[in-house]
Amino acid sequence: MAARGAVARPPRRLGRVGATTRRVGTTWPYLVPALFFFVGWQLYPIVRVLWISFTDYHFLTGGPTHWIGLQNYTDAFSDPLVRKGLMRAAIFTAVFLPGMVFFPMVLAVLVDRVRNSKAASTYRLILLIPAMIPGPLIFVLWGWLYSSAIGPINYFLVDVFHVYNIYNEPQWLGSSALVYVSLAMMEWWWGLGFHTMFYLAGLGTIPKELYESARVDGASEWRVFWRITFPRLRPILLVLVVLRFGTAFALIDEYIILGGFNRDRPTYTWTVYMWDNAFQVGDWNQGFAAAVGLIGTAAMLVVVLWLFYLFRSRD
Amino acid sequence: MATRTETLRRRTLAARKPLSRQARRRSRLAPIAKHAVLIFACVIILFPIAWVFLLSIKSLPDAYTNRIWPHHFDFSHYGEALSGIDTLRQNFTNSVIVTVATMLITSFVAVLAGYALVHLRTPGRGLVLSILVASMFIPTRVTGLISIYQIQNDLGLINSTWGLILPYQTLALAVSVFIMRGVFETIPKELPESARIDGASSLTILTRIMLPLVRNGIVVVLITNFIAAWGEWLLANTLIDDQDKRTFPVVIAGAFGGMGQWQWPNIAAVYIVGILPGLLIFAFTQRWYMRGLQEGALKG
Repeated sequence: MAARGAVARPPRRLGRVGATTRRVGTTWPYLVPALFFFVGWQLYPIVRVLWISFTDYHFLTGGPTHWIGLQNYTDAFSDPLVRKGLMRAAIFTAVFLPGMVFFPMVLAVLVDRVRNSKAASTYRLILLIPAMIPGPLIFVLWGWLYSSAIGPINYFLVDVFHVYNIYNEPQWLGSSALVYVSLAMMEWWWGLGFHTMFYLAGLGTIPKELYESARVDGASEWRVFWRITFPRLRPILLVLVVLRFGTAFALIDEYIILGGFNRDRPTYTWTVYMWDNAFQVGDWNQGFAAAVGLIGTAAMLVVVLWLFYLFRSRD
Repeated sequence: MATRTETLRRRTLAARKPLSRQARRRSRLAPIAKHAVLIFACVIILFPIAWVFLLSIKSLPDAYTNRIWPHHFDFSHYGEALSGIDTLRQNFTNSVIVTVATMLITSFVAVLAGYALVHLRTPGRGLVLSILVASMFIPTRVTGLISIYQIQNDLGLINSTWGLILPYQTLALAVSVFIMRGVFETIPKELPESARIDGASSLTILTRIMLPLVRNGIVVVLITNFIAAWGEWLLANTLIDDQDKRTFPVVIAGAFGGMGQWQWPNIAAVYIVGILPGLLIFAFTQRWYMRGLQEGALKG
C-alpha cells in the first residue's frame, strides 16, 4: 500500500492561480465530508492529547488546569509500570509477529497451487470467516475456548486425552508463561484468512510459466519457493509486518477483555495503564495518561520508522 | 519480459523429459499433503464457531459437563436469552442503529473522497493521501481516546448511543478511502474525460458512470465498516455508562456464565445471534466481495 506512494501530480500550469482556486471550489466538496470526520475525530484528538499531556488535567476535579511542562513525562519515565507496560507489549509483539508472517504465507502458497478452482475458492471462503467476526467478539469467544470451566481445549486435554488433570491443566490466560502465546494464537486465527488473501493477491501476479520452467529444469520445490515466490512476496510481507507491528504494540481491547486491570498480570500493558489512569483510577489524571499514551506511541513510531529504513535500504 | 518468457517457454518444451520414479511418487503425494494441510487449517478455523454453536443448542447438563456433542439438544436457549436478559433487545437495537449509520455515512464519504483523489484534479490530494496513509500506521484510536472522550463530553454526548456515530466514522475511514481510491484507479481516465467533453458535470460522471463500475469496491467498504462498527468495543465501553444504552459487544464481553438468564447456553445463543449478521452478509455478498478485493482493495 505504502509502497505505491503518492499519486502522480497533475501537471502544474504556472501563473494560473485562478484556475487552481476554481478547482478547489469544485473538487474539495467531495473531500470535505471525509476530512471533517478524519480531522475532527482522528487528527485533532492527537493534537489535543499532546497538549493535555503538558497539563495537570484531572477530568473529575474539573478545576482549572495548569501548564506543567514535562512533569507528566518525567513522572511516566520514572514509573516502573510504564516501563513494564512497554516491555509487556513488546514481548507480545515479538511472540505474535513471526507466526503472523509465517502461517498465512504457507497457506497462501498452498491455496495458490490448488488447481480445482471450486476447491480453491471454498478454501478462501472458509479461511475468511474469522475476518467477518469483529475483533472484540473474537476475544470473547477465545476467552471461553481457553477457560477451564467451559472451554473445549482443556476438555480435550483433561477429559478426553488425559494429558493433564484438573490440578495441573494449563491456565491459558492465567499463567504468565502461556498468556502471550495464547493471545498470539488467537490473533493468528483471527488474521489467518485476511493475511492469506494479502499474500494470494501477490502470488496472483507471478506468471505460472516461471514455475513450470523452473520445475522442468529440475529445481526442487524449496528452491522454487525461495528463488521465485518469496522475492515477489517480500513487498507484501514488509507492509504486513509494519502495519501489524503498529497494531500489535498498541492492542488494548484484548488485554482488558481477557486480562482486566490487575497490575501484576502480563496483560497490563501501557495501553491498559493509560486507560486505567484516564477513566478509572482516582480523579482521572488524564494529563498523565496522555503522556503514557504518547510515550507508547512514540516508542512504536520509532520502531516503525526503523522498519521502514531497514526494508528500504535493502531494496 | 516477453522475450524472457518466450525463452523460458522454449526451454520448457525442450527439456520436457520423463519424470523419475521418485519425482512421480512425490507428485502423487504432494497434492494429498497440500489438501491435508488446507483441510486442517479449515478445521481449525471452523471448530471454535462450531463449538459455540453447539453450546447454544445443548441441554444444560451437557453444557456443564463440557461434552462437545450433546446427548440432548435444547433449542430453547435462543428465546430464553433474547427475552430473559433484561436489556439485551435494547442493546441489539443500539448496535443496529450505530452500525447502519456508520456503514452508510462512512461508505458515502469514502466514495466521494476516493473519486476526488483519483478522477478529479484535486489540489493537495498528495498531502491528503499521505496523511491518510500515515494514520493507518499509528494507533490513533488508542492515543486519541482521552481527547475523544473530552470532545464527546464537550458535545454533551457521553452516555449517548447516537453520539457514538461521530467517533465511529473514523474506525475504518482511512482504509475505506484507500480501498475506494484503489478501485477508482482501475477505471481508465479516458472514461470521465470523454464524458466531461460531452458536458457532464463531475457529479453526473460519479453517479451515472462511476458508481456502477465501483460496485464491488463499495461492497468491500460497506462490509469493512459493518464489521468495524458492529463489534466496536473500546469506544462503546469508554463513552457509555448505562447498561441499556450500551451496544451488544460491551454486554457480551462483560457476561460471565452463571445461573438463570446468564447460563452458558444462553450466552452462547446471544453470541451466535451477534456473529450471524456478519456471516450472512458475507455469504450473500461474497461474490462481489472477493471480486472487490481483487479489483483494488488488496493492491500491495
